[in-house]
Amino acid sequence: MTIVVAYKWAPNPQDAAVRSEGTVDFTRAKSTISEYDPVAFELARRVADSTGAQVVGVTVGDASIDTSLARKAALSRGLDRLVIVADDRLVGADSTRLAAVLATVVRRIGDVDLVLAGESSVDVTEGQVAMTLAGQLGWLGLNAVSSVSASDGGYAVERDVPSGTVSMVVTGPAVLATTADAVLPRVPGMKDILGAAKKPVEVLSLDALDVPSAQVTLTTLSTSRPAAGNRQRVIIDGSDPTAAAAELVGALRAAKVL
Amino acid sequence: MNASSQTWIVVADDPAVSGLVVAARILSAEVTAVVAGRRATAESVVAAGVDRVLWLGEPAEGTPVEAYAPDVARTVAAGAPGAVLGSSEGAGRVMLGAIAALLQAPGLSGVTALERDGNQIGVTRSVFGGIAERRDLVTGGTAVIALAGGEISDPTGLAVPVEEVTANALTTGRLTGLRPKEKAPVNLRAARTVVAVGRGLKAKDDLALITDLADAIGGELACSRPLAEGVHWIAKDRNIGISGQQIAPELYVAIGISGQLQHMVGVRDADVIVAVNSDKDALIFKQCDYGIVGDLYTVVPALTAALAAKP
Amino acid sequence: MTSDATEPDFDVIVVGAGLAGSVTAYRLAERGLSVVLIERGDVPGSKNLSGGVLYGRVLETVFPDYLDEAPVERRVTRHVTTFLTPDSAVSLDYSADGLAEPVNAVTVLRAKFDVWLAGKAEEAGAFLMPGVRVDSLLTEPGPDGAATVVGVRAGDDELRARVVVAADGVNSFLARSVGLRPKPPTNHLAVGVKAVIRLPRVDIESRFGVSGDRGAAHAIVGDCTLGIGGGGFLYTNTESLSLGVVLRLDDLLRSGHTAIEAFEHFTQHPGLAQYLRGGELIEYGSHLVAEGGYPMVGEVAMNGMLVAGEAAGLAINSGLTVRGMDLAIGSAIAASDAIAEAVASGDTSEAGLAGYRRRLDESFVMQDMRTYARAPKFLERPGMYGPYGELIADVLHHAFSLDGTPRQHLLTVARHALKRSPVALRQLISDGWAGVRAL
Ligand SMILES: Cc1cc2nc3c(=O)[nH]c(=O)nc-3n(C[C@H](O)[C@H](O)[C@H](O)COP(=O)(O)OP(=O)(O)OC[C@H]3O[C@@H](n4cnc5c(N)ncnc54)[C@H](O)[C@@H]3O)c2cc1C
Ligand SMILES: Cc1cc2nc3c(=O)[nH]c(=O)nc-3n(C[C@H](O)[C@H](O)[C@H](O)COP(=O)(O)OP(=O)(O)OC[C@H]3O[C@@H](n4cnc5c(N)ncnc54)[C@H](O)[C@@H]3O)c2cc1C
Ligand SMILES: Nc1ncnc2c1ncn2[C@@H]1O[C@H](COP(=O)(O)O)[C@@H](O)[C@H]1O
Repeated sequence: MTIVVAYKWAPNPQDAAVRSEGTVDFTRAKSTISEYDPVAFELARRVADSTGAQVVGVTVGDASIDTSLARKAALSRGLDRLVIVADDRLVGADSTRLAAVLATVVRRIGDVDLVLAGESSVDVTEGQVAMTLAGQLGWLGLNAVSSVSASDGGYAVERDVPSGTVSMVVTGPAVLATTADAVLPRVPGMKDILGAAKKPVEVLSLDALDVPSAQVTLTTLSTSRPAAGNRQRVIIDGSDPTAAAAELVGALRAAKVL
Repeated sequence: MNASSQTWIVVADDPAVSGLVVAARILSAEVTAVVAGRRATAESVVAAGVDRVLWLGEPAEGTPVEAYAPDVARTVAAGAPGAVLGSSEGAGRVMLGAIAALLQAPGLSGVTALERDGNQIGVTRSVFGGIAERRDLVTGGTAVIALAGGEISDPTGLAVPVEEVTANALTTGRLTGLRPKEKAPVNLRAARTVVAVGRGLKAKDDLALITDLADAIGGELACSRPLAEGVHWIAKDRNIGISGQQIAPELYVAIGISGQLQHMVGVRDADVIVAVNSDKDALIFKQCDYGIVGDLYTVVPALTAALAAKP
Repeated sequence: MTSDATEPDFDVIVVGAGLAGSVTAYRLAERGLSVVLIERGDVPGSKNLSGGVLYGRVLETVFPDYLDEAPVERRVTRHVTTFLTPDSAVSLDYSADGLAEPVNAVTVLRAKFDVWLAGKAEEAGAFLMPGVRVDSLLTEPGPDGAATVVGVRAGDDELRARVVVAADGVNSFLARSVGLRPKPPTNHLAVGVKAVIRLPRVDIESRFGVSGDRGAAHAIVGDCTLGIGGGGFLYTNTESLSLGVVLRLDDLLRSGHTAIEAFEHFTQHPGLAQYLRGGELIEYGSHLVAEGGYPMVGEVAMNGMLVAGEAAGLAINSGLTVRGMDLAIGSAIAASDAIAEAVASGDTSEAGLAGYRRRLDESFVMQDMRTYARAPKFLERPGMYGPYGELIADVLHHAFSLDGTPRQHLLTVARHALKRSPVALRQLISDGWAGVRAL
């Protein structure tokens, strides 16, 4: 059996620059494995170690996601092998496009019964790709998964929902999006990174995949940069806490927010 | 696919739908709801004031509402509405994912404005964690839109019948138990003053410092994500930010919070932001109205004391 | 994976993918040695601040086509030296097309440049290992009983090699851990605060008088550092500016100011406003720089290990410019040649690696370090950063301001100005002399 981990190689918008007209420049923001995806790697490895399954990492995106740095970063986190689709026709692809490509890759890998994904990506932060992937595959999709383990004939899954913790048994193929704190992911060591370079990587061409085409499209009418919010930025030295507190409370009272 | 001018909403076991109904009415006069889950949910959607309710039937014992996602998608596709709205939380994402996949339509999140121009729908969204905004025209079919649910409102409109649609839910997942949370979820959106604490706090026991201040100031307690996850010192539903609550209180006090993008988008609309941080170069000092550079362990008690003193 | 305790995992372990480390790894891999290049940043360059002016002729000897291949920002054809007083700026502008052909200096942004350089090492066959922070050196007693470096440790893992190169930058924790470098005294260190400001191309071209791929480098002294020993710089990149201040650590500590305060003072100076107007701060941080000059260079080799680049104290602060990148490359050339020789001969002891120091001494690296040996002493003279700036501005003000009064002879102006200035004439002459010799 195979467990797929869908992960993203992405930059943090905290490091991006927004031009005054609202277009975003990511050139100074370096990509890494998206912040919460290592949780999915770790969970997948633990499950696979108990069932003997193999763990395959899958990522899709533009050409820039396939570098040796990016490969090693993923393969050193407990994967057995990697499948990449890196094509500039996917620049700016929306969640449904990404999920459509991911679905064809999962089908092609074959004997997959579980896809694990992160809670949300660091750049897009929608928490949508994995659930759309479930839709593309026609599989059960569950988010907010805080624990997965092998159980009789399937997987025992726990979910963290507003009302509490739900436990479930999953007996068929499923796509699970994890919570950000489901497990503490391992930090790869030197031997993990050296080992990563020896693991197989398959690069699939977009042309070789039968990806359904988009039916609904977006035309961007305008972009803008949200007003930075004209904050007053009155900074008080707190080395004398009592004086600083008095000054602040005075200012807040004067501003009638207290 | 030829989309009609109708607007649909999808509801999966979360009866807090009035936000969806209000948004749907911006786009069309008539609103149809597709409901997965218990009959009671369908009834509460009726009460929220929609024009038509399509219900997928009572789930068999142990069937999670997510198992209805393919049915929801098929029902929506058959109706071919101009727009379909669902919750951006929990099962809502699963339903919207199935719909987006079946229609091969982009799922639109972070929506700040919706407009209709003739048969076309315009959507304004904040993108990349809120650093930019984009206005798009949706062409070729249904606009698939994720929105925060909102509150349960008083019954409005006329009661309509609940129409049952046959469903064929997935059978691959079975519920086996629920450990309920001790406390009901809080709604920080209603609070006028919110006092939040972040990783500047050294130990869980020290939380008393912050709750004392919150009490003195008459505010609700909140936190940055690391305090709600990982250490679990504060309940997750008090996390402020892109993956937590987005609030607009009159006063927001951030203590020991560095002010990263993913947190600050949650308080962008606060009237006044106060920061207490020991690092004078912390990002938050560029995004606050008042800041005290100092150790929270001395500044916070001083603030609590100063609030107690009469002006 | 287990490694036999005696069989090394690699011929060479290079710690630090800065300029020194990547060039060393590149040149060794080119020769067929097995090399691992370990970098603590997730991406090379991510820990290295903004950028600067690279005196690139030495890089050309390693990569003849680097100007076309590497992500260089602009070719520097204008060197401007500016003296600031609280309300004026006086500039000496040296601009010549001769500076562009051959290209002597280019501006680079490290976040891009380091990625390229590490990529070259990787292409040549070095194993690039980012995201790993080396915690310590593995040492064993050698045949003669003296400590020998046999590898590195990071977390729970150990890697072994015939030679370890410490190219871990100014703090060189590795060189210090084996006593090759004492902890530098604070008067041998400076703090640099650097920033990158985005500015549209057209504004850069009009404000700095450059066009195409040409660029300008401004060195700034005088009222720019709150009277703290040091200076400022302002360099043009393609669509941004690198700017910052370099402050003597001991002086900074004495002043009671923070480096950030000095930096803010600098950026708000009216003399700089014309250049920075409308720019957007996109990167910001501070870093130490070695400025002890020649006396700070410690031992550079021991059994099984070499120290290269700023880890070896190789940096020059002339008061007007900071140089370190070209010296790092120069030392990498010497180190890689020496290592190749030692590995081939089977002797990687201190004696076997002695070719490194010899090559360093013969190269421009140590020659320049000696030439500028006095610079740090010169910079310690307090007048350089406050009163002189005012003095020079005063002189030039009187010489250039056409207020209808007869032009005075420049020397007379200087004396008048001196009377008004807090600097004593004798001190000026002696500092001036020290300055001429040092620069
Ligand atoms: C996809 C995604 C979604 C995210 N969603 C959210 C979200 O919804 N909400 C959220 O908050 N974060 C979110 N994050 C995480 C976010 O990026 C930051 O990591 C997080 O907000 C940092 O929390 P913090 O400010 O408490 O901690 P830190 O960044 O560690 O800051 C702690 C601060 O405390 C200060 N401090 C330390 N000691 C003291 C003291 N004694 N007195 C005073 N000050 C002190 C420090 O100077 C520092 O500024 C998300 C990240 C990603 C990638
Ligand atoms: C403000 C300022 C301005 C400057 N301007 C200029 C200029 O204009 N021109 C110029 O030529 N020079 C300039 N310099 C000096 C120049 O930056 C340095 O001399 C040069 O970077 C030294 O190169 P290096 O390769 O020796 O070290 P570095 O570039 O510092 O590289 C060391 C690398 O080692 C890594 N590392 C450190 N410790 C470890 C570890 N334990 N494990 C793994 N990796 C580790 C670091 O992350 C880093 O990538 C300036 C310096 C400053 C501070
Ligand atoms: N391009 C991609 N390739 C593979 N997996 C992805 C991709 N984008 C998102 N994912 C997965 O989907 C999760 C949610 O992403 P998002 O919907 O963008 O917030 C991520 O944490 C990943 O696990």
